[in-house]
Amino acid sequence: MSVPVVEGRGLAKLYPMPAGPVEALRDVSLAVAPGDYIAISGPSGCGKSTLLHILGCVDTPTRGDLLFEGRRVLALGDGERSRLRLTRIGFVFQRFYLLPMLTAFENVEIVQSEARRPAAARRERTRELLAYVGLAARAGHRPSQLSGGEMQRVAIARALANRPGLVLADEPTGELDDETGEQIAALFDRVNHDGTALVIVTHNPALASRAKRRLYMRSGRLVAAPTQADP
Amino acid sequence: MRPLPFAWRSLSRQPARALLGLAGIAVVGALLFDMLMLSRGLLVSFREILDSTGYDVRVTATEGVPGLGPPLEEAGAATDALRALPEVAEVVPVRFGSVSARARDGRTATVALLGTETRRRGEWRVLRGGDLAQDDEPPQMVVNRTMAEDLGLAPGSPLGLASGLEPREFRVAGIVEFPFETAGESMAAVTLAGFAQALGAAAADEADLLLVASRPPHGGEAAVAAIRRLRPDLHPFSTDELLERLRQGEFSYFRQVSLVLSTITSFFAFLLVTTLLTVSVNQRLGEVAALRALGFSRRRIAADLLAESALLVGAGGALAVPLGLALARVLDAILRQMPEVPHRLHFFVFEPRALAWHGALLGAACLAAAAYPAFLAARLPISATLRQETLS
Repeated sequence: MSVPVVEGRGLAKLYPMPAGPVEALRDVSLAVAPGDYIAISGPSGCGKSTLLHILGCVDTPTRGDLLFEGRRVLALGDGERSRLRLTRIGFVFQRFYLLPMLTAFENVEIVQSEARRPAAARRERTRELLAYVGLAARAGHRPSQLSGGEMQRVAIARALANRPGLVLADEPTGELDDETGEQIAALFDRVNHDGTALVIVTHNPALASRAKRRLYMRSGRLVAAPTQADP
Repeated sequence: MRPLPFAWRSLSRQPARALLGLAGIAVVGALLFDMLMLSRGLLVSFREILDSTGYDVRVTATEGVPGLGPPLEEAGAATDALRALPEVAEVVPVRFGSVSARARDGRTATVALLGTETRRRGEWRVLRGGDLAQDDEPPQMVVNRTMAEDLGLAPGSPLGLASGLEPREFRVAGIVEFPFETAGESMAAVTLAGFAQALGAAAADEADLLLVASRPPHGGEAAVAAIRRLRPDLHPFSTDELLERLRQGEFSYFRQVSLVLSTITSFFAFLLVTTLLTVSVNQRLGEVAALRALGFSRRRIAADLLAESALLVGAGGALAVPLGLALARVLDAILRQMPEVPHRLHFFVFEPRALAWHGALLGAACLAAAAYPAFLAARLPISATLRQETLS
């Protein structure tokens, strides 16, 4: 059996609040295998994004353990966790977060530059990725000159730039219309088909339905199936 | 993309803000540069004037300012004794006085009169006509431009000088410039014999000052030491000692003012850049959090902000230099209008060390200014910020 890309064991997250601590995650265990495709749904505030951030090593659990490709993430320092995110994890955000002063090409290239890939290799990889997401002709355009769907496709290309083992997406179609959302969903299918594990947090049932595994969360816990109140 | 080009692109996102910041740094930097030039300007300028005379030691009877203290008695013997020292190349006695001058056409002026020997080094600079000659009849004199213009004098003009009732006739040999003449001041030099004739009773063997030139390679300090050994009753000062006295005395006000204003302007530069960068970081918290999530290290985020600060301060600081030089000319012209200021003396003087200090202080301001926004950005809680940005 292959080592999971990421594995959370008994994860809990408490946020201290003036009125008392809020438990965002309660004893969540989840393993993401290579090539897996998981969609996590649930009502707002149920802990989906918190779980995604912990799996993506940008946040730490209050309790529990996290292994990324067999390494204990909690034992790593901030610099090592940054390096891990840079080289092994891709992020896609609801709001894209492309750098507005850079072109689409530069937005995809900059994460490779930060990972110290050689210039020729990263230029080649960037061209390849922009063609992969269907934006080869828009390489020189800045985010302000792109549509929402195009921006999200550039963001997906950026997430794939350093050949990560895992791509995490937080409401990737949240700012897009249905048709554009469908295009992004198709692109995620392709990314997963090409071997990258995906974990997507979404309220979009159409996008969630494409995943190999659908998980539901309520009140900080993974539950078997959605209730009628859940999306 | 390395931090510097990345910072350039970040700044170019808000060109108006970047330009305003740049202009602010340039103005503050210009003031800082001016204050640094002022801090040593008088000393540097004064040294230039002292050096231009060709004498590096001054000997007086007391610690007092030459001309205001008692004169040196038996000046002839003292001069001869000092001339015999191997460390000394030249000794010239000088007398200071004030006389009334009357031109042929009846115009009069009060004149600061120097009695000395014929010119050996840079006691004055001949602009027109000839130089002062010894033992001529009528005795010769050289006058400065102000006096020549006020009394309508030219080389060869006769002139009456008097400190009492009876004027003594002199002839103008040339128009000269004295190192320490002040704006609007009539000044003239005559021989020691002429000085005695012009001032009547002051014919004694006295001098207000002995100008001494050291003999190379001994230098001024060695000449001073030799004079002190030979004549402990005299008060010799090297140029450095004289300047040190001025630094601690008359010129210290300018140094203190420039120190206070340099500190304030450096602090302004720091505040300006800190504010700009902090506002900039606060406007793109989500972007910074996203970059951190994508794997950009804290060090990289801090380096980007430091590079932004360096670009702002570097470009603003570079613009500040010509701006500061232009402003210094204006301020210098205003300050030189003060009475009793030698017209060759400058308050603002460019020195490479002023430029180096300017760079160092702005560099420190740049580092300090980047520290808080860099801390803010590098310590940003990634997850909480992304959540907050999505909700807002």
